[in-house]
Amino acid sequence: MPIALYRIDDRLIHGQVVVGWGQPLDLGFIVLVDDVVAESDWEQELYRLGVPPSMDVYFESTRDAARGLATYVSDRRTGMVLTETVETMLELARTAVIPITAVNVGGIHHREDRTQKLRYVFLNKPEEQALREMAELGVVVTAQDVPSATSHSLDALLKACAK
Amino acid sequence: MTIPAAGARRGSGAGDGTAAPVSTRAVIAAYARLFAVQGSWNYETMVGNGIAFCMKPLLQDLPEERYHAALARQARYFNAHPYLAGVAVGALARGELDGEDPARIERFRTALCGPLGSVGDQLVWAGWLPLCSLIAVGAFALGAGPLAVVCIFLGIYNVGHVALRAWGLRVGLRRGLRVAPALANPVFREGPAALARISAVLAGLILPLALQRIIGPGRVLAGGVAVVAVVGAVILARFGARATGWRAALGLLAIFVLYSVAR
Amino acid sequence: MTTGSLLFSVIPVSLLGAVVGLDMVSFPQMMLSRPLVSATLAGAFVGRPAAGLLIGAVLELIALETLPFGASRYAEWGTAGVVGGVVMAGQPQGSAGALPVAMFVALATAVFSSRSMVWVRTWNAHEARRMRAAIDAGAPEVIDSIQLHGLTMDLVRGFAVTCIALLILFPLSQKIVAVWSVDAVYSRAVVTALAATVAAGAIWTLTHRAARAGWLFVLGLCAGTALLLLQ
Repeated sequence: MPIALYRIDDRLIHGQVVVGWGQPLDLGFIVLVDDVVAESDWEQELYRLGVPPSMDVYFESTRDAARGLATYVSDRRTGMVLTETVETMLELARTAVIPITAVNVGGIHHREDRTQKLRYVFLNKPEEQALREMAELGVVVTAQDVPSATSHSLDALLKACAK
Repeated sequence: MTIPAAGARRGSGAGDGTAAPVSTRAVIAAYARLFAVQGSWNYETMVGNGIAFCMKPLLQDLPEERYHAALARQARYFNAHPYLAGVAVGALARGELDGEDPARIERFRTALCGPLGSVGDQLVWAGWLPLCSLIAVGAFALGAGPLAVVCIFLGIYNVGHVALRAWGLRVGLRRGLRVAPALANPVFREGPAALARISAVLAGLILPLALQRIIGPGRVLAGGVAVVAVVGAVILARFGARATGWRAALGLLAIFVLYSVAR
Repeated sequence: MTTGSLLFSVIPVSLLGAVVGLDMVSFPQMMLSRPLVSATLAGAFVGRPAAGLLIGAVLELIALETLPFGASRYAEWGTAGVVGGVVMAGQPQGSAGALPVAMFVALATAVFSSRSMVWVRTWNAHEARRMRAAIDAGAPEVIDSIQLHGLTMDLVRGFAVTCIALLILFPLSQKIVAVWSVDAVYSRAVVTALAATVAAGAIWTLTHRAARAGWLFVLGLCAGTALLLLQ
């Protein structure tokens, strides 16, 4: 089954992901792609505690995920690929063995060097550029925190001011 | 589970490797503040300022320099389920009191954020709250009066609410940065599914009775409404991932109001 | 309740709106903000708690759908419940249009109150940004003052939303109820069908992942229907 959602969210596994998207999409697994977390046992354990027993979490480095996506796509359960940063998702879009057609920007939060675009999306210039590059690769980039919220196109997102 | 070993103890309170004591008064003050942890919720630091606000009574015996550094660290971006924010407040306060390495506290803080939100959302917002709502609507459906319905709802719900906040602060303070295994508690792991099953049977039981009480006498009409509700719910469940039922209900109701006024 | 007495009552009822609006997120989150509670309390304020409970139960079924994740935008049911409760209890007893109109104004208020929460949260961010240097220095009094500021803003928000909504929507609701033409039973049936649809959809979303939840729902439905027939 194709991956139902490729999501960029710097909180990684949290309520919006597990309950907000997990329940309506009937998620069976999450592939958490992050080079640091992939090497950290205690963080993996913590994130595993954040999902219900009926949901699996797989931790992958960016390189392993790019190769392993084909396996996840053949899984009969519905899955989500989750990255903390725009850069990781861009790398995945560039190198994955299967094409990534759509990416959801679910939450990138405040930092000194970032400008607010939506109430839940703050971006710096390199991140804006990375999202544009993703779009040039043919990926449809949208911003949406929960399923019932309005979906914003990349153009609208980059033009947006704080709302 | 492997959590990085505790760093070298330093500063006041834990120089000998034992946990720094926290007065009962400070714990009570922190617990009371937890009820206002989301008081300054915002899109930049989210509940960050609230975490520092709640932690303040627990940290005030630290030497001044460490006290200010700890408050500054804890006031940064953070998010968690409000009822489980006590876990973070207790654990991070314990880390600060025991003189843990600030870099380790920050790394732990970042990693704790999501799971505390996820676990709380599953247990409380998607489990305990709907169940208590259904119990109260059930009481209404069976003919309970206004005072009884309100008391049943607030009483049952807040037993769980108040206890969860207290548990979170207590377990956080006791376990410090090793608090993660506490989240493997069966209440968090199995609780949401158990609550969902109870809610499912209760919803089936009370919906027809509640419909009857709202509509009034007339079984045929109640049956018709039930059929419409089932069909509507199936449509909502099919497309509901990208729609909000209450907004759709508002739109349909606006049409109905216009119809009734204009005809 | 007449418009004159509404004006006399709007301040205390708006204070109730402030308290339950504050409860939704900021303090103390004891679910006074649930419509079952807020509408019933509002009905009691107007002297008809049973009318408040009726609209409260309808709105509670709808509110089952709301999952108040901290960062997402969601309906704020506290003030909406108060407005719905006052409108419902403020109509002449037995008015055919009272329930649908009360539900309509409550949902309309929820749209407005949901937006007002975003304004307060944005303002809180502005305040935190303004005090950034003091926060970064770990100034305890600033941390407390930001928290108190946010709580006050949210209290004011709840008051303002309830007050504005009542001043606009209560007279309007009286005019609509006066010319309401659909029979009372059918009016209630439409309201109930909408509430039950949203509730059933929410229950399905919340429970369908649990093993045997579907069968348990059907089992409960059979028992509920049997109870209904026996009544």
